[in-house]
Amino acid sequence: MAAGLRAVRRWGLVATAPGLAFTRSASVVKNASNAQPNWLGVGLAFGTSAALWAFLVKEHNEDVMEYERRKRERGHKCTGCS
Amino acid sequence: MAFLPDESRSLPPPPLLNKGSVWLGFAGWGQFLSPPAAAGIHRQVLFATLGCFVGYHLVKRTEYVHAKVDRELFEYIRHHPVDFQPATG
Repeated sequence: MAAGLRAVRRWGLVATAPGLAFTRSASVVKNASNAQPNWLGVGLAFGTSAALWAFLVKEHNEDVMEYERRKRERGHKCTGCS
Repeated sequence: MAFLPDESRSLPPPPLLNKGSVWLGFAGWGQFLSPPAAAGIHRQVLFATLGCFVGYHLVKRTEYVHAKVDRELFEYIRHHPVDFQPATG
C-alpha cells in the first residue's frame, strides 16, 4: 500500500508539500502566520489611521480659521455670497 | 487646475462628517461585509479612515467647482442685464 501511495504521489494526484519536481513553480510560498496576530501590521494600520484622522481634523480646523480670517478681511463687502 | 486651489479656502469648509466622507467611509468599512477577504478591526478602521479622508477632499473640491460655476453664472447675469429682465406679462 505504501508503494501504491508513493506512486500516486508521484503522479501528482495527492497533495504534498510543494517540491520542484511536482509543481514546476519557481517560488515556494511560506505558510502565513495566521495563528497569532501580525502585530507589526496591526500597529501600522492603527498608526496610519490615527495619523490620517489627526491630519484631517487639523486640516479642517485650519480651513475654518482661514475661512473666518478671509471673511473678516473682506469686511462683509460681498453680499452676494453667504 | 490643482486639486484644491488656494481660492477654495475662501469657501466655508464642509463639516468633517459630510455626505461624501460618511459615504466613502461606510463604503471602505463595507469592503469587509462579504466576502471576508481581510478581516480584522484594524483593517476595517484603516479602510473606513481612508474612505472618510478621500470623501472629505472630494466634497471640498466639489463645493469649490460648484461655487466657481455659480460665481461665473452670476457674473454673466450681471454683465448681461438685458437678457435677464423679469418677464413682462
